[in-house]
Amino acid sequence: MAISDVNPFEAPPAGDNMFARITDNVTRIAETATPPRAWYIAFGFAQLLLLMFLGSLGYVIWNGIGAWGNMMPVAWGFPIVNFVFWIGIGHAGTLISAVLFLFRQNWRTAINRFAEAMTIFAVVCAGIFPGMHIGRPWLPYYMFPIPNQMDMWPQFRSPLEWDVFAVSTYATVSILFWYMGMIPDFATFRDRATTTVRRVAYGIVAMGWRGSSRQWHVYERAYLILAALATPLVLSVHSVVSFDFATAQLPGWHTTIFPPYFVAGAIFGGFAMVVTLAVPARQFFGLKRIITIRHLELMNKVIMATGLIVGYAYGMEFFVAWYSGNKYEVFTFVNRAFGPYGWAYWTMISCNVLFPQLHWFPQVRRNPWATLIIGLIVNVGMWFERFVIICTSLSRDFLPSSWGYFVPTPVDLMTLGGSFGLFFTLFLLFCRYLPMVAMSEVKAFSPAGLAHGDH
Amino acid sequence: MAKVSNGSSSSSGDGGTSDNIRLAEVGQSLFLKALVVGVVALGVSAFLGSSENDNWNRFSHSYLVAFVWVMTIGAGAVWWITIQNIVNSHWSLVIRRIGELIASNAPVLAVLAFPVVIPLILGKSPMYIWSDVNNMLGREELKHKIPYLNPHFFAIRFVVYFGYWTLLSYFFLNRSLGQDKQQGNDAAKTVVTMRRVAGPAMIVFALTLTFCAIDLIMTLDPRWFSTIFGVYYFASCVMAINSSLALTLMWLQSKGRLTSSVTVHHFHDLGKMVFAFTVFWAYIGFSQFMLLWYANIPEETLWFKERFANSWGTLSWTLLFGHFVIPFFGLLSRWVKRNRKALAFWCIWQLVMIYLDMYWLVMPTLGVDQVPFQLIDLTCWVGVLSLFIAGVAWRAKGLNLLATNDPRLPKSLAFENI
Repeated sequence: MAISDVNPFEAPPAGDNMFARITDNVTRIAETATPPRAWYIAFGFAQLLLLMFLGSLGYVIWNGIGAWGNMMPVAWGFPIVNFVFWIGIGHAGTLISAVLFLFRQNWRTAINRFAEAMTIFAVVCAGIFPGMHIGRPWLPYYMFPIPNQMDMWPQFRSPLEWDVFAVSTYATVSILFWYMGMIPDFATFRDRATTTVRRVAYGIVAMGWRGSSRQWHVYERAYLILAALATPLVLSVHSVVSFDFATAQLPGWHTTIFPPYFVAGAIFGGFAMVVTLAVPARQFFGLKRIITIRHLELMNKVIMATGLIVGYAYGMEFFVAWYSGNKYEVFTFVNRAFGPYGWAYWTMISCNVLFPQLHWFPQVRRNPWATLIIGLIVNVGMWFERFVIICTSLSRDFLPSSWGYFVPTPVDLMTLGGSFGLFFTLFLLFCRYLPMVAMSEVKAFSPAGLAHGDH
Repeated sequence: MAKVSNGSSSSSGDGGTSDNIRLAEVGQSLFLKALVVGVVALGVSAFLGSSENDNWNRFSHSYLVAFVWVMTIGAGAVWWITIQNIVNSHWSLVIRRIGELIASNAPVLAVLAFPVVIPLILGKSPMYIWSDVNNMLGREELKHKIPYLNPHFFAIRFVVYFGYWTLLSYFFLNRSLGQDKQQGNDAAKTVVTMRRVAGPAMIVFALTLTFCAIDLIMTLDPRWFSTIFGVYYFASCVMAINSSLALTLMWLQSKGRLTSSVTVHHFHDLGKMVFAFTVFWAYIGFSQFMLLWYANIPEETLWFKERFANSWGTLSWTLLFGHFVIPFFGLLSRWVKRNRKALAFWCIWQLVMIYLDMYWLVMPTLGVDQVPFQLIDLTCWVGVLSLFIAGVAWRAKGLNLLATNDPRLPKSLAFENI
């Protein structure tokens, strides 16, 4: 098979009506014999990163987590920073598919499928970090309340244990939601299959979908119920993650605004990752007719709004630290901004609060390049937010004699960078083999689909 | 389904609908009744308050509860119209003017705050100990707060909060009324103007609401602090305004106003918002309580300790069940949100619960062991609410109750909620 030099998805989609063109626009990505060269380059690059990830994890398993920079007092270090970062990324998908559905934001149909996919892959990446950080990664089942002969139970009073349940519930519901939404599109893939393998494979996952009105009726009901169930999950996961910090007495961690602030930050970071992936994806897979500039603009507005909520939380923390009169709290916040990690703090503030304000200008938020760049900046900023919270508070706690300065080792950096390899590998495979856009939903809200009235 | 038709029975002049969209004499009579009730009720409250001989402490507390309760509606309305403009909402258009009329009652709200705020600024407040700097100087744990907690700076903040809400709500109301006289492109431009202002305006609003809630409620115990406090009060504001809008529309329809413009579909959405913020309030309340309880730091738990002592504990548990668990199941079903009587019941229920919540926030500062419900609480509440209603009715009586020329109106009239 020769790899084509020209992008095969540049051509306008075939079909004599809008529905057919939407189908062609999406299905040809999975049906073409050879994806564009850019896909191979990206996939090769992702494989290298993935290899680095597996290598660094293997090294950590072999040598113990001393291979990372974790130390006393910063025992959490990179692994928990990365965990919270990836979990945060994993919020946009379910927000788009559940909350925006309840808010009747029909534009979400163009982006919900791959945002949900991204969510699940981010949760996969996130789950690896605490699993490794426990130090004996071959014993992760200790985290689950499994009856055993040692009569050992997890500590149910620990927020870390609540995290296990919150994240696994979220992962389960997200996967169900994602999969259920794909069933009608799998059936389309099955019906268009030209090879037996494709027909059987997509036929199995399509679960006998025939598109009868009865099936659609059940499908729509299930979708609404799942959306209603998933909505509190969007809030609960990152709230529980924030409890890991906020239940402690540590200055900088113990503050009541953490749950909503973390949720807003997660949506902020998640949407930034969605636009970071959407801009190249619409370019390389010829999806500009489906994921339009209007979609990018709306996502940028969500980024701006959630970014401002995060900014509000930064401000409230500072004000109340002063207002409280707690000298440890005051010290922590002054230390964040002007202490040894000041560079990280100001990186966080500029990336999360200052740069997204550029989206006030329509020229910026309607520009794919600007969207991509600000999306990347926000991702950096949100990673640093977790770094600032974890490392500044831990490195200088109550006792000056136990202060320290956390420095990541090369293995830390390889693990962080490598996790992107896993993420991109999964995402690129998804783009190649699964319906990247929710065809049936896009059709329902296309002008042709709305011809019979706005439902 | 309502249809927009020109040359209608309404008195609105150009571009009216087939609905009656003027309060006219109904507004006048409501204004007079509410004014009389309000003045009498506050008179009785003042009498009851003075007979306590406690330097107006009891009266101030009861009055503050009533005031911050009404403020959830008034400030909630300012938030509500701003957010509707930001998100370019279509469904809510038939309700927008009602929101604007309630929001632009902000100056009345400011005047209603005087019995609490004037003594505070004069340094004579019986309940805010920081109103007299000397009280603060003697206390090591409070001294450093003087730059923020002093009457002069508070006076400036008070003007900023209510001045800003007045400006913002007048801007929206005036633009919106101007739009009633515009056609086509001009009316569409007004939509864009309001949307452009709404975005940045929301940022300032968030800060004013937060600090207003902190100043009026949280500083009653100047030792205590919570970063989520502004959000906690905000949750009540959203629930209060959505409940109030639903009840106001029901009342208007019972008087033959907006009967065909506002349909079950709009009520359904208001009900959804009340339901959503019932959960949101519980989420924020739980976050605040659980984190402080878990860390168990005395300077933070003292606030909850007061609220779980003796019959205050009963009130706390009442809030958990009455403000969240029971209305959660009550508002869950689609039928309830689409049934006027059922929805009205839950809207009133939640407004009562918000009152209890405000009571729970404010009253423990009084320093009594048991929940001190008395007649004065009721008369203050009736008085402040009546005067607030009188202010809205006075403004509303001569104005359209519907944004008649908004280009999105047909969509809002035809809105269907599945």
